Amino acid sequence: MHEFLETTVDKFIFRVATDRYYSSDGLWAKVEGNHVRIGMTDFLQQRSGDVAFAEVKPIGTQLSFGDEVSVIETIKVDISLYSPVSGTVLEVNPALDGSPEVINQDPYGEGWLAVIAASDWEKDLNQLLDAQAYFTLMRGQAEEETQKL
Amino acid sequence: MRHDKRVVIVPCSGIGKTYGTVSREAAYELVQDLRPDRTELIALSMLVLGDENTRDIVAENPAITIDGCKLACATKMVAESGGEVAKDIAVLDVYRRYRQFKPRGIAELNDGGLQLSRALAEELAVVVDDLIAPEITHQGNDETLKGTQIGGSDA
Repeated sequence: MHEFLETTVDKFIFRVATDRYYSSDGLWAKVEGNHVRIGMTDFLQQRSGDVAFAEVKPIGTQLSFGDEVSVIETIKVDISLYSPVSGTVLEVNPALDGSPEVINQDPYGEGWLAVIAASDWEKDLNQLLDAQAYFTLMRGQAEEETQKL
Repeated sequence: MRHDKRVVIVPCSGIGKTYGTVSREAAYELVQDLRPDRTELIALSMLVLGDENTRDIVAENPAITIDGCKLACATKMVAESGGEVAKDIAVLDVYRRYRQFKPRGIAELNDGGLQLSRALAEELAVVVDDLIAPEITHQGNDETLKGTQIGGSDA
């Protein structure tokens, strides 16, 4: 069971799980033993819209921090997602093939994208935000978005 | 010939949304071209406004709802209006089966969007046939009688 920071902006509720780290462009990274699981934040999935297709780099792909790790096609946009961790792709979420909507339904749980064998986690960590810092950043981004509506 | 029993078609009313436009294009194709004598187009806005005549039609006939997003307004409004949702379909689910037809555009759909609308309309024509006369083999797309449109066409 995750714990969340939560904010309401206009009519939207956004949550940030407290047990992981974040890139400023909306991917989370959660340490699990020697590996790091990654996924999209609640804010990013809501802003992007319902996911039609999700493609993740295949198992064995070597990634540097900031490399494209996934391409998501939603009802609004096609977006590239950039890895918040360097290393090798160990697992890709099999649910994304048949049920990519799981990203929208459970972005911090069943909607994970990949598990990475991190090659330099300590260095990557210096470029990531903790939950509170991302929460502040995300709230600002959300307020900016709603002003455009 | 005019069938007594009709299927009401209720598309998404999302204006400015590509998938909403796909839902309406599919509905027009179904009601005007593919199954004009078996279907009736209902404007979602008339249900939202509580129009009595529209609510009666929905309450008396099976409905196919075509939703443009997960809010599923069409399906919810038919249910709230006392109607029977015989089939609810989301444009996104259809697109996942026809990835080659990538919809783009709002006021005017691109070719992919038009092809997706057509594929959706053809699937729904089969559903209409099953609802109206399950024992009759599907008759193709050659029906010529005009359908009735209630409450406007651009919810």
